Amino acid sequence: MTCEECIRELATGSLRELAGDSPVMNHCAGCRDCAQLTTLLRDREYQAATVLNSLPPRSNPITVAETAGLLSGRRRVGGLVVMASGAAWVITIWIAAAVTVIPRMNSAEADGRNALRTETIPLTCLSPQQAADIINPYVHGRRSMYWVPSTGISAITVRGTASELARSRDLIREFEKDPAAECRLTPAQKTTLRHMQSGVAGESKTSGALLGKTSTPPKGAGPSEIPPATK
Amino acid sequence: MRLYRFRKRKARDASPAESLTYRDRATYALDAQLASLAAAGDDSAFTTIVTRFQPAVFRWALMFARDPDEAEDITQEVFVRTHQQIGQYRSDGSLEAWLYRITRRSATQMRRKSKRRGRLALSPGAQPARDVYTTDPGGRVDRERAASIIRELFSTLPQRQREIFDLVDLQGLSPAEAADRTGMKPVSVRSSLFKARKTIRESLLATHPSYRELSK
Repeated sequence: MTCEECIRELATGSLRELAGDSPVMNHCAGCRDCAQLTTLLRDREYQAATVLNSLPPRSNPITVAETAGLLSGRRRVGGLVVMASGAAWVITIWIAAAVTVIPRMNSAEADGRNALRTETIPLTCLSPQQAADIINPYVHGRRSMYWVPSTGISAITVRGTASELARSRDLIREFEKDPAAECRLTPAQKTTLRHMQSGVAGESKTSGALLGKTSTPPKGAGPSEIPPATK
Repeated sequence: MRLYRFRKRKARDASPAESLTYRDRATYALDAQLASLAAAGDDSAFTTIVTRFQPAVFRWALMFARDPDEAEDITQEVFVRTHQQIGQYRSDGSLEAWLYRITRRSATQMRRKSKRRGRLALSPGAQPARDVYTTDPGGRVDRERAASIIRELFSTLPQRQREIFDLVDLQGLSPAEAADRTGMKPVSVRSSLFKARKTIRESLLATHPSYRELSK
């Protein structure tokens, strides 16, 4: 064994397991430097082991046990206090949220519900005036209203709350879908209908003159202007 | 190959139970009995546990501490935790191994806590010596020597290497026992031991005339 091999072995090998007839010890028997180094390393580790392994604890075990019991109890109580504080904190936050944040959110939601929106509903069968007559009783909010276009566009614009808009939309859709509506009649059926209407108007004029009553129809859009065939 | 591996694993799994002697089993049974009594609130049983294991816990704490005083603090902390958690001890393992795990955890947490407080930023020598054992000059000398050995041997090592070196080379456990105690793989234990020895012995080896040539 060379010195290099010996140092390599000493650098990482176990000094406790160095037997007297091991290659390192055989080498050390003939090499003064390696022998000194081996003795130095073994002595150092032996001293460290002796000092550390024989050092007694200074504290009395009974005192340690009593202190441990005391501190353990305190920590248990401390843990409970921390847990209770945490629970109280969570409850406080919850109450604060229930008192301030949630009502605010609810009012915001209610505001959203009451907010006015504008919607234009296209018409395929009804005239804008007819649609206005239908929705008139339902659009009655303070700022709710509807516009009937004057340029002949077949649509009606309604401004109101979400519920008013939904109601208007549903009503208009219901009347628009009606298969017996005037707009769905054939030209022949329309002519017959007009004749019938003019006949009824003539009769009422005559009876009105006989009774001395005015025959002028009431002004404004009303249910009487809705074509009879629509519903 | 598979069969060989299976046999090897089976042998490894079976070895701890088979290696238990009658004395070990009797000790385990006594420990379990003491632990169950302590868990039930018997203070004298807990004091017996402390009396039995305090030197061992203090010795383990020394390898994690910077000086014997810190090891005393770790020992106290270990027994506080033992008192808190004694109900969780399962009697199928040894109480010693369970206490070792608590010591390791406590030491690590205390170190982390003290690091957080910035105490480790100061060098150990810069800290004021705690003059508490003036009544025992011999003990004081021993403690100072222990502290200097800890500083000299362990200050440069990472905690894992320090632990393995102490268990194997200073306390005399075999690498397999150290692996069992620390929960590491035997290969990792050997690797850590190899590195620790190299680091610790390097300064002394450097005095050898042919070391320079070797280190090139």
